[in-house]
Amino acid sequence: MSGPGFSRREMLAIGGAAAGLAAMTPLAHARMLPEAMDRDVFAAACRELRAIVGEDWVFADEASTISYRKSFIPDLRGEHIPSGAVAPASVEQVQAILAVANRYKLPLWPVSTGHNMGYGMATPASSGQMILDLKRMNRIIDFDAELGTILVEPGVTYQQIHDYIEEHNLPYWLDVPTVGPIVSMVGNTLERGVGYTPYGDHFFMQCGMEVVLADGSILRTGMGSIENGNTWQAFKWGYGPYLDGIFTQSNFGVVVKMGMWLMPKPPVYKPFVVRSANFEDVAAITNTIRPFRMNNLIPNGVLIMGALYQLAMFKRRSEVFSGDGAIPMDLLKAEAARNGLGMWNTYFALYGTDEIIGAVEPILRGAFEAAGGEVLTEAEMGGNPWFEHHKTLMRGGMSLEEIGLVRWWGRNGGAVAFAPVAPAKGDQTLAQSALATEIMNKYGFDYAPAYAVGGRELHHIIFLMFDKGDDASAARAEQCIDEMITRFGERGWAAYRSSVSTMDLVAQQYGQTNREVNARIKQALDPNHILAPGKQGIA
Amino acid sequence: MGTSASRWRAAGGLAAAAAMAAIAMLGGNARAQATYEVQPRAPEFLYARTCGYCHGHNVAPIIRGRNLPAPVIAAMVRSGQGAMPAFKPTEITNAELQALAQWLSTAPADPREHGQ
Repeated sequence: MSGPGFSRREMLAIGGAAAGLAAMTPLAHARMLPEAMDRDVFAAACRELRAIVGEDWVFADEASTISYRKSFIPDLRGEHIPSGAVAPASVEQVQAILAVANRYKLPLWPVSTGHNMGYGMATPASSGQMILDLKRMNRIIDFDAELGTILVEPGVTYQQIHDYIEEHNLPYWLDVPTVGPIVSMVGNTLERGVGYTPYGDHFFMQCGMEVVLADGSILRTGMGSIENGNTWQAFKWGYGPYLDGIFTQSNFGVVVKMGMWLMPKPPVYKPFVVRSANFEDVAAITNTIRPFRMNNLIPNGVLIMGALYQLAMFKRRSEVFSGDGAIPMDLLKAEAARNGLGMWNTYFALYGTDEIIGAVEPILRGAFEAAGGEVLTEAEMGGNPWFEHHKTLMRGGMSLEEIGLVRWWGRNGGAVAFAPVAPAKGDQTLAQSALATEIMNKYGFDYAPAYAVGGRELHHIIFLMFDKGDDASAARAEQCIDEMITRFGERGWAAYRSSVSTMDLVAQQYGQTNREVNARIKQALDPNHILAPGKQGIA
Repeated sequence: MGTSASRWRAAGGLAAAAAMAAIAMLGGNARAQATYEVQPRAPEFLYARTCGYCHGHNVAPIIRGRNLPAPVIAAMVRSGQGAMPAFKPTEITNAELQALAQWLSTAPADPREHGQ
């Protein structure tokens, strides 16, 4: 890897810039008042909030709000600048804050830890919203070691649960997103994020919620309201309409507790990578994986990682290419090969006993080899940083290595994700990869793909890396994402999730009736629209 | 016979034993888990569980052993300069950050850290 990064002199300059950020440009402001709210009214609201949470936990000036302003996505027109933040420590404080927000019509944008990396971090869908920072609510409330269930508050990170499991020697594994240590289990699950063990579909593994509604009432979903009940974290569906779903990717309430199921730790774990040489191989890989995910011979959330996504984790673009435009395919292929990688690298794992793995492995090997892949294990790939990374992820281990992608273009950072869904069919992945390559290369960006394979579908995670320190690059990134959303949409491929900057655009693709139903639920549950207006396109 | 199969069964037994321990523990412990606002976490603990995943671990520059000024470190943690995420006072309190920045500014290089 290359040199030491930045010098002491640069650090001083950076520090000074950080301290004086507010003075640089109006768009660099860390905060912006809610639209149509008088400064005095905002100040009065803040006084009431301070009375609830204490002086230290309301942030309403430039210096103290700076952390909430940070994101990696383009925001050239200052459309995602919060007015401040308020951080409650209890459910009762959340209720009291909502009462104030209703009285002042103060919009609140709830976050758990605010590290929604490719999608806008803690920043709101529109400027002026106050961040409702739930990080201080950080208790593991219950851990049932017989059922392998956990009940946590929004501020609990995967690292905290990992430490708890280690400390108490509990026979369970976590399932983490790629940035587990600093993010919230509740937050990731509410965004319907995924991981890479057999428990990779986080929302599927969720069981029971406690939600504070905008009027302050408290809803426990599923079995949570049964008097003397003990099945809240055991049975998902409860009785009558299943409500948990309407509180995910939504602004209908503030989720303050969530139950999850944890995977029993298997005695044996064996990670694999299938290396495929050519861009076109993604079709054969997809068709090979699909039946094994459907019949569960491959039990975990499989990742098909493109070469560029992999290289960008640990390398800077300038180490690979210094020419104009997107990196040529042959150069990328050669660089991948130099690092022990293929154009596609498919990571899966087997879990269980030696006997189970011994029975399944030959079946999978035969199928992937017939599709032209090299099937490799620890024996061949141990020590390869990419293999080690995925070995960690597929056992729910702690890593932040994928943050490396953000500095592909340099230390200014800059990245935004586009995540269209595709059916798990080879012609579909090949067509999506071709379309993304065409659009991204047109704007001078490199196509960095990862396909996360569920059962019958794939999340196509496209990481658009740009230079946030260069307004022209940020403008091109914005146009590129919009064109991808639009043109993928024309082919019937829509995103499963989106950055705060494109929520409305994506919501349009899901149809007017969907939007109207969401609007009616919103009106019924939050008539003053104080909770996260604009979230997933819901006003 | 069936070594890993018997290990799995044994793991089941262990789970039950652990369950009893955990249930006993949760009687007081988990519900009363002290938050870090009450019990500040040590700089080494915070470094290992946050900074050290990137810095000196292929992703971000090595920052130990460089005598970087504490105020600069603190400013960067809060602002998340460039490709670094910002860390809020609710994640790392002001008192914790002050101690972390002070510790980092004088911490010796760790030979196990590598790359950028």
